[in-house]
Amino acid sequence: MILDRLDVTPEELERQTGWELKPEGLCKEARCVPLPAAATTDGRVDVRAVAERLGMPLVHDDRYDLWALGPESTDRVLESAELPPIRLADVDGRPFDLSSLRGEKVLIAAWASW
Amino acid sequence: MSLPVWRQLRSELHPEGLEIVTVALDLEVDAARSWIERSGAEHPQLVDTAHKLDELLGIVNVPTAVWVDEDGMIVRPPHAASVERYDWSKLKAPEGLPEDIDRHVRDMLEQVKRIPRFDADHYVAALRDWVEKGAASEFALTPDEVVRRSASRPSSVAEAEAEFELGQHLHHAGHVDDARPHFRAAHRLQPENWTYKRNAWELVSPGLQGPSEHYDGDWLTDIKAAGAERYYAPLDF
Repeated sequence: MILDRLDVTPEELERQTGWELKPEGLCKEARCVPLPAAATTDGRVDVRAVAERLGMPLVHDDRYDLWALGPESTDRVLESAELPPIRLADVDGRPFDLSSLRGEKVLIAAWASW
Repeated sequence: MSLPVWRQLRSELHPEGLEIVTVALDLEVDAARSWIERSGAEHPQLVDTAHKLDELLGIVNVPTAVWVDEDGMIVRPPHAASVERYDWSKLKAPEGLPEDIDRHVRDMLEQVKRIPRFDADHYVAALRDWVEKGAASEFALTPDEVVRRSASRPSSVAEAEAEFELGQHLHHAGHVDDARPHFRAAHRLQPENWTYKRNAWELVSPGLQGPSEHYDGDWLTDIKAAGAERYYAPLDF
């Protein structure tokens, strides 16, 4: 998740990382991680606190003053067998959501020109 | 290139209930465009200019496939998809290359020939079996087994993904030079990720992915260090 400031709305955080802000903390599927109350101010969430609580890397580019918040460390990239939400575009920029293929078997084939 | 094979397989298996989605892990859409436009494929052909599939699925090289059933459940996590029937032992360096390039290309081909190749006929037979039998196919894994076989994401890999994301963001914003330190950091943090390395090398050394002032490694040096026989994880079918 690319950031130009270190606080985000809960909606943006959830859209980009899948972690939802609830009264009990940050939640994803069945898991909730408590977040200190001080980490939320005026409807925005402190990204440093999120990164620390969830074990996410936060890297910075000094020249452009941008951050990238990476995914949480985990024993398994696939924490369940359910295909995560994947939305990509074709060569003309038309978006395509892989979940639109429910009902068919799907083979995803990653390749590259290089 | 595997696109024509996917197109052929799709025309055969789509009536049986299989859709194929090809995803090009290419920072530059235009690098993938001509391959895609020439493929004549009727299935979705997407481009992942941020290599998000690496993070979402645990992909580290191409070609890699993932099988997903009708309910959106993965039944085969990322694996080296071998569908090409190509005689790699017959690969030869083109004639007329300058001497230093010729030597480099010959060394690369020597490594290419050492990369283990899996049996395409066996792979395609397994795919047909799953398309026909679904969960009853011996090649469809249970959810627990899919999770068990999934790659791990230690903090170094998570950080590599953040660095690559920052790098691709700057690259796409036109800051090509300023993207490179972030790509280099991603390479250092997750050396086993060939998609991060090869795409970055290709942009500074097209065709050869050779040594440059911008990156610490290059394809030939890195594959020698890693061992060509470990370029792809063994296909466990």
